[in-house]
Amino acid sequence: MSYQFDFLAVAREAPELAAGLARTVELTAVACIAGLLIGIVGAVCRAWQLRPFNTLFAVYVEMFRNTPFLVQLFFLFFGLPTLGIDIAPDSAAMLAMVINLGAYAVEIIRSGIEATPKGQIEAAQALALKRWQIFLHVVLRPALLRVWPAMTSQVVIVMLGSAVCAQISTEELSYAASLIQSRNFRAFETYFVTAGLYLALALLLRQTLLRGGGRLLKRGRP
Amino acid sequence: MNDFTLGDILLALLHGLQWTAILSLTAFVLGSLGGLIILALRLAHRPALVWLAKTFIEVFQGTPLLMQLFIVFFGLSLGGVEIPPWLAAALGLTLYTSAYLAEIWRGCVNAIPNTQWEGSAALALNRYQQMRHVILPQALRMAIAPTVGFLVQVVKGTSVASIIGFVELTKTGGMLANATFEPFLIYGLVAAGYFLLCYPLSLYSRHLERTLHVAR
Amino acid sequence: MSLVNITGLHKHYGPNHVLKGVDLTVRQGDVVTLIGRSGSGKSTLLRTINGLESFDQGSITLAGQTIGSRDAKALQQLRLQVGMVFQQFNLFPHLTVGENIMMSPRVVKGESPHILREEAHALLAKVGLADKFDAWPDQLSGGQQQRVAIARALAMKPQVLLCDEITSALDPELVNEVLAVVRQLAQEGMTLIMVTHEMRFARDVSNHVVFMHQGKIHEAGHPADLFSRPQTPELQNFVSAVM
Repeated sequence: MSYQFDFLAVAREAPELAAGLARTVELTAVACIAGLLIGIVGAVCRAWQLRPFNTLFAVYVEMFRNTPFLVQLFFLFFGLPTLGIDIAPDSAAMLAMVINLGAYAVEIIRSGIEATPKGQIEAAQALALKRWQIFLHVVLRPALLRVWPAMTSQVVIVMLGSAVCAQISTEELSYAASLIQSRNFRAFETYFVTAGLYLALALLLRQTLLRGGGRLLKRGRP
Repeated sequence: MNDFTLGDILLALLHGLQWTAILSLTAFVLGSLGGLIILALRLAHRPALVWLAKTFIEVFQGTPLLMQLFIVFFGLSLGGVEIPPWLAAALGLTLYTSAYLAEIWRGCVNAIPNTQWEGSAALALNRYQQMRHVILPQALRMAIAPTVGFLVQVVKGTSVASIIGFVELTKTGGMLANATFEPFLIYGLVAAGYFLLCYPLSLYSRHLERTLHVAR
Repeated sequence: MSLVNITGLHKHYGPNHVLKGVDLTVRQGDVVTLIGRSGSGKSTLLRTINGLESFDQGSITLAGQTIGSRDAKALQQLRLQVGMVFQQFNLFPHLTVGENIMMSPRVVKGESPHILREEAHALLAKVGLADKFDAWPDQLSGGQQQRVAIARALAMKPQVLLCDEITSALDPELVNEVLAVVRQLAQEGMTLIMVTHEMRFARDVSNHVVFMHQGKIHEAGHPADLFSRPQTPELQNFVSAVM
């Protein structure tokens, strides 16, 4: 094989990659926060069996966990305009990520809530805590702490999955890679470097979430 | 709806669904073999092999499946030989599946209490015999439910192969959407197709989790 | 003649010096009981004898052979001679009672399933569980599981049997059925080294009692002397606390 690798051709496009990386981070941050909120609301509805929301959330969860993110994205971006709802690539990507992560978050947080030992709630009742106080301090916070590692993994998975958003021309990291390789004809090198950037981002994201989340949820503890 | 009847569309999608199933199954079977190899390396008592397995898992769990497919696709064609999308898709998805299954299975092996290792060690079993007769049979049982659950991720993952040009369900849907100008209907049907494959698997995995969780 | 010979044994767990020079001789047919407070090093000492714990200094010989090598082959050779019964039974939940007993001799020694089956039935009869051959471990009470664990250890025909607090995880009413089996083994001349909290049993069955304190053998002797006339204040305290 006489192929000569040329990674310099990729290095020259660093600004393009940086811009794509920034957009990926931005999308992930929004998805993480909004997905978490959906997750908490949905998990509460499911765990407390609040009708009809528990059924609605159950359908939502099953629908989005059993179909590919790429198809969800196409459905939103190409499908909604036929209903007269126009949606920009960035909004479609963001919406798809939020909805997708939300579906997983509902299940993850619900499992955390349902793992609350009965004795904990009884002890809190015996201490005359109100219902919402019990939920907040004895159920929700420990539940989030319990499932935070799973939640973190899911956020990383959604971040990595966002690479397909380039297909609807959202200008995130993999979009930058496609653009670069079409200019320098160095597809292998370009995607290799881009994969490295994703890997670094995944490791950083996981560390940040595990540390930050743990600190936030354990606040007030020694 | 131009020249396409609903029957035409369904038939074409069904054809695509078939390729989705074939690709999923290929990746799953080959990925299981790969996963076993990575698992063996991961559990070895040699630091170099463990490092190798860890890195493999870290890389494939830490990069987008799309990038993995691109790298396999363009990497294999570096020598000037054009490789067909199905080969790149099968190979890429196999590697991806290997990494995830190895990690899932390692979790099951680790979940076997240390007392089972001690109990069998005290009966003079060597490490291989402990694995073969005591640890793996128990870990395997635990692994069935999450393994079936991961099959859902594989099926969904095959949709990414459409981007490198493999004509499966998503790609078929894309072509139909362009031709019929009915993206809402088409992508709705495509989603339904995936749902039909994945939902039974999800249900089955949950069922297994409930029934197999007892030790025996 | 001496079967197990321990001299100058030291072990550290990180900064903790858990065994500080232990010497112990066990002859064929001896029934030795290790007693002492938790953290005194008695379980650690027991576990070094079949290599579940390593040690830093000193030597252990078994029937003249030196133990201490960390190499897998030597460990396996050692464990062929030394059986062990654990506090938590450690039966294999995926195997029936009969399979639990036969698995190791079949896998390690390659003995024929036909002979093993007969032996397993005989061992189960010996521990009073003749009808449990096809039962699963989770269908048995703790006392029954522990008796299966004893039969499983005996199936390897060990020269020494180590018992690590084998009644501590049992409900009080199930303790005696397990102790009865051990008592019978002792009468048949099996060499036993036990860690136990059952002081009355230790006094009745063993011919040598070792009191461990802070990683050392503090006092040792025949149970009749040791329990009725403890010499050191530490043993006096211990005896008055537990008996």
